[in-house]
This record gives sequence, structure tokens and C-alpha cells, in this order.
Amino acid sequence: LLNLRPLHSSHLATQHYDVIVVGGGHAGTEAAAAAARLGAETLLVTQKISTIGALSCNPSLGGVGKGHLVKEVDALDGLCGRAGDWAGIHFSILNKRKGPAVWGPRAQLDRQRYREFIQTELLNTPKLTLLEGAVDELLVTEASTEGPGHHKVTGIRLANGIHPFSASSVVLTTGTFLSGSLFVGCTTSPGGRIGDAPSASGLSHTLKDILGLKMGRLRTGTPPRIIKDSVDFSQANYHPPDSQPRPFSFLNLQTHCKPEEQLPCYLTYTTPGVEQVVHDSLHLNCHIQQDTKGPRYCPSIESRVLRFPGRSHQVWLEPEGLSSDLVYPQGLSMTMPPDMQLRLIREIPALHRAQIHTPGYGVQYDFVCPTQLSPSLQVKSTQGLFLAGQINGTTGYEEAAAQGLWAGVNAARSALSKPPVVLSRTESYIGVLIDDLVSRGVTEPYRMFTSRAEFRTSLRPDNADLRLTLKGFEEVGCVSLRRYKEAVRARDHLQDGLAALEDLSLSSHSWRHKLPNINMSQNKSTVMTGIEILQYSEVSYEMLCSVFPQHLSLYIEFSQRIKIEAVYRPHCDEQRKEIERIQKEESMVLSPDIDYLSLPVSLSQEVREILDRIRPSTLGAASRLQGVTPAAIVHLLNYVQPTGHKEKRNYKPQLQDQKEEREKICLKNTQ
Amino acid sequence: MLNCKYFCYLSFFPLYCSKGPPPLQRLLCTCDHGNTNRLADAETIFALSSGHGRCGVAVVRVSGPASLSALRSMAGLKHTPPPPRTALLRSITDPRTKEVLDRGLVLWFPGPHSFTGEDSAEFHIHGGPAVVAAVLQALGNVAGMRPAEAGEFTRRAFQAGKLGLTEVEGLGDLIHAETEAQRRQALRQMSGDLGRLYQDWSSRLKRNLAHVEAFIDFSEDELIEEGVLDQVDQFISELQSEVEHHLQDERRGERLRSGVHVVIAGATNAGKSSLLNTLCQRPAAIVSPIAGTTRDVVDTALDIAGFPVVLSDTAGLRDSADLVEREGVRRARQRVEQADVTLVVVDCAQIPLDQPTVSFLRDHIKTVLPSQDPSHTGTGIILQMFIQTPAQRRQRLRSDLSSWTAPPSVCCVSCLTEEGLQHFLSQLQLRVQCGDPLSGGPSLTQARHRSHLQLCVSALKQFRRYRDSDLALAAEGVRLALTCVGRITGRVGPEEILDIIFKDFCIGK
Repeated sequence: LLNLRPLHSSHLATQHYDVIVVGGGHAGTEAAAAAARLGAETLLVTQKISTIGALSCNPSLGGVGKGHLVKEVDALDGLCGRAGDWAGIHFSILNKRKGPAVWGPRAQLDRQRYREFIQTELLNTPKLTLLEGAVDELLVTEASTEGPGHHKVTGIRLANGIHPFSASSVVLTTGTFLSGSLFVGCTTSPGGRIGDAPSASGLSHTLKDILGLKMGRLRTGTPPRIIKDSVDFSQANYHPPDSQPRPFSFLNLQTHCKPEEQLPCYLTYTTPGVEQVVHDSLHLNCHIQQDTKGPRYCPSIESRVLRFPGRSHQVWLEPEGLSSDLVYPQGLSMTMPPDMQLRLIREIPALHRAQIHTPGYGVQYDFVCPTQLSPSLQVKSTQGLFLAGQINGTTGYEEAAAQGLWAGVNAARSALSKPPVVLSRTESYIGVLIDDLVSRGVTEPYRMFTSRAEFRTSLRPDNADLRLTLKGFEEVGCVSLRRYKEAVRARDHLQDGLAALEDLSLSSHSWRHKLPNINMSQNKSTVMTGIEILQYSEVSYEMLCSVFPQHLSLYIEFSQRIKIEAVYRPHCDEQRKEIERIQKEESMVLSPDIDYLSLPVSLSQEVREILDRIRPSTLGAASRLQGVTPAAIVHLLNYVQPTGHKEKRNYKPQLQDQKEEREKICLKNTQ
Repeated sequence: MLNCKYFCYLSFFPLYCSKGPPPLQRLLCTCDHGNTNRLADAETIFALSSGHGRCGVAVVRVSGPASLSALRSMAGLKHTPPPPRTALLRSITDPRTKEVLDRGLVLWFPGPHSFTGEDSAEFHIHGGPAVVAAVLQALGNVAGMRPAEAGEFTRRAFQAGKLGLTEVEGLGDLIHAETEAQRRQALRQMSGDLGRLYQDWSSRLKRNLAHVEAFIDFSEDELIEEGVLDQVDQFISELQSEVEHHLQDERRGERLRSGVHVVIAGATNAGKSSLLNTLCQRPAAIVSPIAGTTRDVVDTALDIAGFPVVLSDTAGLRDSADLVEREGVRRARQRVEQADVTLVVVDCAQIPLDQPTVSFLRDHIKTVLPSQDPSHTGTGIILQMFIQTPAQRRQRLRSDLSSWTAPPSVCCVSCLTEEGLQHFLSQLQLRVQCGDPLSGGPSLTQARHRSHLQLCVSALKQFRRYRDSDLALAAEGVRLALTCVGRITGRVGPEEILDIIFKDFCIGK
């Protein structure tokens, strides 16, 4: 199917690239594709081209919070949404009964299809070259005097490579491979994923000793893979997929997998026997005994049993692919010796005669404390160096993809001498993710939840295109014209559909007459618009459309989105004030070289230390820091870079400039 | 009025009115607002801008788009637009009750020609606490108005480009004083029963929000039963009636004394109670040569040069085995934290002869006020001289102190002979004046709390309204309610909510 030519460094004519991406996982592939979309000559270096796009852990994408990220990556023309639509074999919208702002689009994936899609996509991306090799070190020089920072990264050197590759920007997406070690029982071996060679140790050394970055160590784990034929599904609960699978991507009307071809999942539970095995094997389980921070929300079965004893825990049995003969037991991540793993899973009714194909294992790996990054995901002290994915302390495919895309965008912009771009937490989950990382740091692997987003009712999966695609095309340059046109079409239809509803202005009496099932009080007598009627939970756009077909049928394609907009509009209007206040503060940039410890204003030592440690990039970021007082914020006004004022004073000319700039970009993108 | 907030909102901003932002811009809260009128969307804030001392005139400032409507409805200017920047003598009424609150001057400053660059108004009213409180409360009841946060007027002025960097620099310390005064005022308020009540609401809200959030983020993959939400339902209705009841209760908990809080602190037997008695010219506190005589805080209301002052004598700071005294010391330290002005009393007999006086005093103040910045303008040192102090020793101390650089300033006082008392009083008067909290009066704090609690109630109603149709919108109500209470008790971040989730539920997909 794929015409994969393994490239070797000697085959490459060019030794200089705008952007070099190290790593071919979810972060690396999005980063490389995004950089190339911006027009940067990009090189992706990975140990094995055949593992590009591999799903190392669970065979699924999306979920509550994570699904939001997938929609946003897709809205910025990233890969994972379309790859999910191609490879999905079981689609469901989680939280279907809880309100569209927290719907969680999710799919079980066919591992092979997913990998194939990503690889094909990358091979067909202009300006992108793939190279097989292990990166041994970063080439570092003195910082250029034009920008802040102590160092500058100028390229990479491969292990055993003679010629270095030079680059204006380097994006590191090393995942669990940075000084990674694998744990099963009490056996440890170097590596980031079972079956793959460990990465060279040079990178860790460069980051720690040469660039002086503060590093930490995290752990994660994966469950054993079980042979499908050995599972007794009759003892588990059947969970069908949605009968009408809904694609992730705004570009897709349907998924590759037909509705009836989808595979089910199964749910089963742990028993007291499982707890017994965990206790019996504790002395043989080195990973669990160590105190390296693991995630609280994706813990191994060992830590779940130890923290919440005496309970029955859920185990999901998920398909690995249409033709795969394996099953993935979600919830059974474990690191005990393989013979104990077998004993454990057989304590679960549906797995009483199960056989393990590959045992579960734990991984420990280095990460770079992300407070050392700017909101464009560049290392503050090192020019040209960008980080994305698990190296920043996150967990999860979607979190990695989101950062990868944004790091790739900024790496390319930096290489092409364009200013960095920032996504605000008021406009996207990607912004929430990055802001949390760079301004709060991590103490455990970071995962996205909808509860992290203050403006959850505005940042919905359904409107990711309106929030990001237009900006992505007009300001960032990472979105294709085709996608832009589609988003504009959606925007116009929504706008017109809502205007048509607004024009339908009738007395409440006539509404009750036309829609006899509506649950409206008989006492109500006022003039109401179609929008207000659509806000009733029992009214659908289709119902209104059948009453007023001549007004509304034109927009029926967007019926669900119009309904959501109508219900959420009053709340979004309310939130907009707060959003604008925050955006104003985020436009007030604090200079990166402020010496907070000696500022000649009355700030407490505690506040000075917090500011010095985190070095917030804007006043908005500073005001969100725990322990920074309003008085301190007012004092910091003194040190806001005066760009905001210039903008105000030259308001009109700048608008003109922006317009011209946009037209230029549009022109360029159409060529 | 408040419970139908969203309907009001819809009628205020007809969905496609020609003056509003284009529909899509409002549809997409987050996209570029480059060509919309930002001012039209900002909230309107108000605050008492003059001191809360016994002054003849108090100035209440309003800034934001609703300024004009507030001015019109409260100053009876419904039919005639007020001329800009002109003082008008009007009766000021509560727009809801139509009750006349005061007669005073009103001024209208249409943006951008105002301090903040926004539409602004000023009410110059009589300075009595009751009048001020009534006007503030009436403003809080006008739709779209809320009390200003610390430093908010200045921030708006800065953002509107109304203040240059140098002007901000000049304002820095003034604002520091204002925000610090508000903080101390809030601390004082929070240490009482009322504070405990708000804290309790906050922590219960946090827990219930965590349970709703857990249900949203995890119930699809985890064992979180719907029963969790039934408990939340019950809590929300309980809380709503508690807050409503609290808002209706005209007693409104304890009344706080208005005035600058001056606290006398120091080691045992330094002569703190003697100083208090001398200042109030009556034996308010028991004085004895036995260390640890004063065990509780003794408060006295005083008038110093026309400024209301609450003077507090505290227990001597020392480690004690006595339980009662230990509690007294804890209260003393708490008072020092909340004080606008701290007077540290030192018995001059305690100053060692073989150590430089200046360095001894610098060290001493650090042990008495470990958590305070000693250069804080509200700090002063009183050297207490007793009749036994030989004249030679007094002379030596005075010459040592000639090299002292304030702040804090040092005064030598003898409570018995009243030597140095006049000088001390004039110094204290300066402190009381410049430590005058610009907007930290109890009436304003109470008005602010009231406004936050009213918003909290309407947020709780949102939860109940959407509970069955859209849990995301319902949860938004709980979030808003917690934000409102959090503006009184301290902000609650998402991490705190996640901590509760992971403590209460076994999450592990």
C-alpha cells in the first residue's frame, strides 16, 4: 500500500532545513506537518519510519476533554482528526446526555489503519522529508544578540552520523524515550516502548548539562494485550457503538468505517481476587514501589487497588482493529511480573481463561519542567528550541498532538522570521493546555479535563472551526484554503440560519398553536422569536423547519449547530465580558528580563519569588498565579511593555495593515 | 430583577440590533473583536473614592457603560441628559424603593474624557457612614453594576491609555495602600462569625462543584453514580435558601467599627497598656508591673485629629505555657496582621548598653513583626521611658537615635510625665491620615459582599434551571456561584477542584 523508502542521511541532498522535528509520535507528526503547511522546509527524524503514527498505548482517540482537543487540532488542519475518521472502528459521543459543551467525541481505532493514514499523509506533504536515524545531540551555540536567551540551537547530529543537519528551529518530541526505562516486575531495561531500541543518551545530556534545563521524572504504564479468542465475552457487558458514527473532522461527512462494520466494546469488573494478587506480588513490583509521580487519573491497577481497596473497578475490553486478534483491557495497566499478570487477569470473570500476548509494563522517563517554556512552546533560555508532548510532562495522544501542532507552527514561524503566535485560554482548549503547562508547571502527568477550561460553555467541540479555522488561515497560516472555505460556509450558514430564526417573531399564543407539544406556560403572552423558541429543550430545529420550511430549510444541514448556538448564546454573551477582560490583560506583555527580586516597588518577598520562578509572559498570566495579589498586579503595570498603547494610538492604520496582511496571506494560500 | 438576568439581557441587547456587534461576533465569544466597541461590553464598576473618615463629603465614583443610566435613575435625570462635567445639585434616590437617600452633587463625565476613559459619573454625598452605605447598596442594585475590585479604576485608566508609565509609577504606592487597606479590612471581616459562614459556604460549594465536575468528566468511564447529583441538588437548594435568608436579614451579622485600626504590640511589660490608657485618658486597661497582665485584646474607639481610630491593646508577645496567655498572644499576632497602623512599644531599660541602639531596635522589630515589611508606612516604634530612667541614659538614647532613618519612625515617650507625648501624637496623626484606607470601610466591604452574594443566588438558580436539560450549563451555575463566594473568601482554581475529585472518587480509566 505504502511506498516507503527508508531514507538515510547520505541520500539527502540538503543538510539545512528550516525546521527539524525529532520524534514521530503524535506530537512529532503534527509538528512536522504543521511546519510544512506553513511553508517551512521540514525534516522529521525518527528511529523507525515504520513506527511513525504508532499508537503505543490505548487503541482509541478522543473522549471528554480530549475530544475537544482533537476537534481543535482538526480545525487547525492537523492530522489526528482525519486519521481518527479513517481508522475508527467504534465511534461514540460520550456525555451525550449532559449538554453539547461537554460532549466527548471518541473512537476505538484500528492501529494499522491509523499508522498507515499518518504515514501516507506525511509522505504526501510537500516540503516535508522523513529521515530514519537516532539523534544523539543538539548543536548549540551562543545566543544571538537580537533575542533573549543564553543559547541557540543550530541543528542536530545523528548517532554515528558524520554530517550534522543544521536548522533554524528544532522541535523535540521524544515522548517516553528521553532517558526512558521499562519496568516489568523488578527487571529494568532502557527504552521508551517495548520492542524499540532506546534513544541515545546524548539528548538528555544536552538538555540538562549544556542548556541547564530543570528536568524531572515521570512514569506511566500500559496493560497487557490479551488474545481475543481466549476472552469469554459472554461474561462481560456488551457496549455497542453509536448507530450513526459522527466523524471528528469538520471536513468529513462520514467515517471510513460503515456504521454496520463497527465493532463493540465490552465492560467487565475486577474482583476481590484481583486485589489479592496485587498484594501477593507487591514485593516483586519495583515500579509501584518507587515514588516517581504517576498520573492520578490513569493509574495502574496496582495503585487503584491500593488507594481504593475493597471496591470493584471497571475494565473495558476494547478491540485493537478490524482484523486484529488482540484485545486491549483498558484499566488494567500493570507492572508486576508476567506470571502474576496472568494470575491477576484470570481473576476477572470474562478473562478466566485469557491468554496474554504481550505483558503490561511501566515506563519512566525524563521531562523538562514546562515553566521554562514560552506560550509558543519555545524554551525561553534557548533560541530555536521547541518542545512538545510528553517531554513537557503531559500524557495522552491528544495533548501531545495539540502541543505538537502549535510547536510546529511556531518553529516554522520563527524559522521564517515571523513573530510567534499564541492561543489564549479564552479561545481554545489548546490555549488552556499550554497556559497551564507554562504558567503552572506539572507535578504529575498532565491530562485535559473539561473542568480545566473556565470558558467551557464557549469552547465547545461543535464550534472549534469557528474559533480556530478562520484564525488559523488568516493569522497563522496553517490552514488550507479548502478548509477555510468550508469554515466560512459554516459560519455564513449559521449566521443566516440564526437571522432567519430571529425574523420569525410571533406571539407566544401563536407559537403554542403552531407547536402544540411545546412546554410553554399558558399565562405567557409576549412576542417571541424563533431563537427563543429553539431554546426550549423539547424544540428542535427540524420541528421549526417543518412549520416554516420556506424560511428555514436552507440551513437544515446545520440544524444541530444552530440549536446549540441558540441555547448557549445568552451564556456566551455573559462570558464574553470576562473573556475580553482577560484578553486585554493577556495583550499586556511583561518583558522577559524583569528582575523581580530587585524591583523598586513594595512587593512581598513571596510574590517576588513566585514571579521570578514562573516569569509570566503577560499580565494576565501573572494575575492567575496563586499568591500574586491585586496590589502586585497594579505595580506590574509599570513594567508592561508599551506595545498595547502604540496599537491603540495607531488603531486605524494598523487595521488597514492587518487587512492588507490578511489579503496577502489569502493570496499566498490560494497559490 | 436578578433572577431573570438572562431575559433582561436579551431585551437589553436585541439579537440583531444595528448598533450591537455583528451577530457572529457575539455568536463566537472568542474570535477577533477588532471592530466592535469594547467599551459597550465592559462591566460597570463603582467604589467609594474618598476616605471613610469623618469627612464632610464622600465621593462615589462609577465607571462603565451603565454609568449614565445609574446617574439618571438615581439623580432623577430621566428626561434631561446631564451636561458633561458640570456639578448638579440633586436628590439622590434608591431606584428600587424610590426612597431619597441624600441630597448632593452629581457629575457626568462622558468617555473618553474621564479618568478611566469610559463613561463615568461621580456622586458627591454627605460623608456619614449610613448615607454612604445606602448609596453604595442602591448602586449595587442597578442592573449591570458591581463593586470595583482592588485597583480596578486604575487598571481601566491604564488600559485606556489614560495614564502614562510615570503617572502609574506615582500612583503605585497609593494603590498599594488602597488594596492593602482593602485586604486588611477583608481580613478583619473574615476573622469573625461572618467570615466563618462564608468560608463554610465556599468549602461546601467547592465539594459540590467537584462532584458535578467528576460526573461530567469521568462518569462515562468510571463508576460514578447518578446519586452524586441528587446530593448536589439538595445542597444547592439548601444553600440558595441560606444565602437568601442571609441577604434578607437586616442585622447582617456583626457590625464592624469604622476607622483606622491601630494596634499596640510589643514584648510583655513594655508598657503597652500604659500607652493605651494615656492615649484615651482613662484607665481602659489594667496596668501592673506583672508581665502578662493583658491577656485579651482591649479595643477602644478614639478620635485623633478628627479621624476615627480603633485602638487595640494586645497581650505581650512571649512564649507562654499558660493556655489563656497563649491564646492571647495568638490574637495579638492576628490583630497585628489586620492592623492599618502598628505601634511597637519597647521598654528603654531593655535596650542593652553594650549594643548599638539602632541595630537592637531593627532586630527587635523583626522579632515582634516577623511577617511584616518593617518599612511599611503604618509601623512606628515607641520607646517607653519610665521615671526611673536616668537623665544621662535618656540623653544617650536621643543621640543614638539621631542616626535613625525612618520608616519606621521612633518616638521616646514617658507615659507618666507625658514627656514626648505631643511629638508622638503628631506622628500618630500623620500615620492615621496616610494610612487612611481609601475604600476599605466596613460599609463598602459589606456592600461588596452583598452584591457578590446576590449574584451567587442567581447563579444557583441557573443550576436548578438547567439541571435536567444541560448539565454543562447547570455546572456553569455552580462555578459562577463559587466564583462569587470566592471573591469574598479567596479564589478557587481548577486544580483545587481536581484535588477533591481525585480524593473522593477512584478515577482510573
